[in-house]
Amino acid sequence: MSLHAKLVITAFALFNVIFVVELLRKRKLSESYTLMWLFVIVAVIFFTWAERFLSSITSYFGAITPVSTLTLLSLLFILVMLIFFSMKIHKLERSIKEMAQRVALDNPKGNVG
Amino acid sequence: MEGLTRPRDDRGNERVIVLPVYNEEKNLRTTVEEIRGTGIPWDIVMVDDGSTDGSRDLLANLPVTVLSHPVNLGYGAAVQTGLRYAVLRGYGTVVLMDADGQHVASEIPALLAALDKGADIVIGSRLLGESAGYRIPLLRRTGIAFFSAVAKMLGGTRIHDVTSGFQAMRLEVARFLAEEYPVDFPDAEVIISLGLRKFRITEVPAHFRMRVHGSSMYSNPAKALYYPFKSLLASFIVLLRLIREKK
Repeated sequence: MSLHAKLVITAFALFNVIFVVELLRKRKLSESYTLMWLFVIVAVIFFTWAERFLSSITSYFGAITPVSTLTLLSLLFILVMLIFFSMKIHKLERSIKEMAQRVALDNPKGNVG
Repeated sequence: MEGLTRPRDDRGNERVIVLPVYNEEKNLRTTVEEIRGTGIPWDIVMVDDGSTDGSRDLLANLPVTVLSHPVNLGYGAAVQTGLRYAVLRGYGTVVLMDADGQHVASEIPALLAALDKGADIVIGSRLLGESAGYRIPLLRRTGIAFFSAVAKMLGGTRIHDVTSGFQAMRLEVARFLAEEYPVDFPDAEVIISLGLRKFRITEVPAHFRMRVHGSSMYSNPAKALYYPFKSLLASFIVLLRLIREKK
């Protein structure tokens, strides 16, 4: 990977650090999600600069370039995140259902009978 | 009609009719008047599932108990709310009907008679005997037949009309279903789940009318396409859960 590409990725990662911290400050993101994204950003910077490590993974996967390996790892990460957020959405759906049902059950109206 | 006029079942518990409602403004009054017209003295509970037409206002003026979801949760969730209410209030028998006027209130005694003969839950079936004037599209009929076979294979009970929402059940079944009930399309999955847990399920012939106003939840093409896959997956998951429970 060229130095130019490394610098662009690092700059983008650092911009994201500021972005997620700002979201946390504005209470638009929780501490746990902010921490998770900070770990992701650290991982991106690590893979960008740890060329030898990335090259060994590239040869292990049989990929042609380190960029292909990064793309593959990114896709796997996105897949895991999508499953994680599907679980979160399902949990929220259940919570909303339980709440809405509780509201309905606690407030019966009209004439019984 | 003798069974209709008794407010309590053979165990001395009160009985209730539960009707989930979603945008049924044009059908509600007729449905309630039909039930009351048959002399049924039981409580009627209508669960408004976040209707956006005038259903909510109309329900306030009908002689029924109304439970209102603040948002639309789906047919299954509305049924579950009704069942939870029935369990909390200790009703001994619960009759489920649709609020769109498709089910015939005067046929409730036929369901009760089957309950009295020892069934835990009775399904009113449009596929047994005559079903005057009710036509099921071929695709849906095929789907019903398929899931009927799946229910028989997994749950051991042959129920022809697995998508019927016209049902009568004992408190034990209501209590079980009040805990876990699928939010959307609670059909074969429920039958299979009850069959696997050895509840006695029977089916009696029932006449269904064609809906006069509004549209069915199955009329959405995307939902119709999604339905068989979801139901098939859900059916096998029910089986897997039971296997895990037994271990």
